[in-house]
Amino acid sequence: MAEDMEKLYNERLERYVTAMKNGKPDKIPVRPFVAEFVAKYAGFTCQEVTHDANKAFEAVRIFAKDFDVDAVVGNMIYVWTGMTEANSTKYYKVPGIDLDPDEAFQYIEPQDEEGAHMKADEYDQLIDDPTGFLASVWLPRIMKDSSKGDYRSNLAWLKGGIAMMNYFTGFGVQGAALKNESGTVSAIAGALKAPCDILADKLRGYRQLSADFFRRPDKVVAACKALMPHMKYNAYATADPTKTVPITVWLHRGCAPFMSYQAYEKFYWPTLKQIIIDLYDMGWQVLFYAEGDWDKNLKYTAELPEKSIIYHVDRGDIFEVHKQVGHKFCLSGGIPNDLLTYGTTDDVRAFCKKIIDGVAKDGGYIMDAGAIIQQDAKIENVKAMVDFTREYGVY
Amino acid sequence: MPDEKIEKKPGVCIPWEEKIKEYEKITGDAELIKKVWEDIDGLAYIYIWFVLIAA
Repeated sequence: MAEDMEKLYNERLERYVTAMKNGKPDKIPVRPFVAEFVAKYAGFTCQEVTHDANKAFEAVRIFAKDFDVDAVVGNMIYVWTGMTEANSTKYYKVPGIDLDPDEAFQYIEPQDEEGAHMKADEYDQLIDDPTGFLASVWLPRIMKDSSKGDYRSNLAWLKGGIAMMNYFTGFGVQGAALKNESGTVSAIAGALKAPCDILADKLRGYRQLSADFFRRPDKVVAACKALMPHMKYNAYATADPTKTVPITVWLHRGCAPFMSYQAYEKFYWPTLKQIIIDLYDMGWQVLFYAEGDWDKNLKYTAELPEKSIIYHVDRGDIFEVHKQVGHKFCLSGGIPNDLLTYGTTDDVRAFCKKIIDGVAKDGGYIMDAGAIIQQDAKIENVKAMVDFTREYGVY
Repeated sequence: MPDEKIEKKPGVCIPWEEKIKEYEKITGDAELIKKVWEDIDGLAYIYIWFVLIAA
């Protein structure tokens, strides 16, 4: 790695890590979670970057060379539809197949009991042997090729596994390329979801889980407890072995209006809290990527150990979040995605200034949009967010 | 008497304790066979849970 690139990388890493530990670095780190936006910037369609992981990696590297950012995700388009077509899973509408080539992929959640990928009477199977249930019941059920005979079914399994291995290898190569070519840090490693979100997103569907809260609450509690050790294991098995960059927990249905306090306290929070505490005890911080407005959950989030999380703000009030938990946790995000899409560059700069002045004066803040930045964001606005922060966000 | 069920811990699809029962005898290094079995079994585990969590 060229000496100047190594120096740049180390400066950026130091900046990023210092902020994550709620300290005050030399400048505010910029860590935009650019997803389909990189396709727009690099001149690819959504289809190209969603279906061909190598094009996604290339688009991210083009972005990282041109924007003065400290950290990015190697590929923030979290579903590689090349793989999901190979293993024939049912969860996605694919750009270029089901959608226009310039639309982002869509997630298809189970809508009712008939469509649920885990039935109401299958909780005990999941609780008793989560891996066995997933491999024997759930995966065959969600793979379209399961119904096409042994040849297609067996190949779908084989292709999925091989594709995953190739993809993981690709992330390693991508991390090195970002470091060497543009001195950019790979922002996160390791994936985590709350057990309750797994039940809602992938198994029962949110509507069915909501009914389960009333019809079979003990089963839901037991299922979350059964999933907990596996969520933790998968998070650290795929995490940064040096424990420098955080694991990310992608938080979906725990916030208002999806869940009451009572449901959150009983079903969602206990196992999620324990997983985060355990991971922090093992040495990993967790990026608490709170999608939506999680302000009403702050009293629970405040229970977590100091510096155990980086609290990411999407639709919440970042100033209120800072007031309540800013002394404990680094914050990130807060720039509204619709501002990046519909606003002017002046609007973006003004909002960045407001956030920097309001929550970043003592450090412990990382600049980013509230949610992943997709193809609708204006290039000049993302540039304004980055460049203004570089100029104004100096300590 | 039915075999006692061997619990599958995180990271495991087919526990080694279950697999070893299928061998009549081990003539060589059992630890080597165990390690390689567990390494590859762990990859299958990661795939199954990767599809659930992130794909």
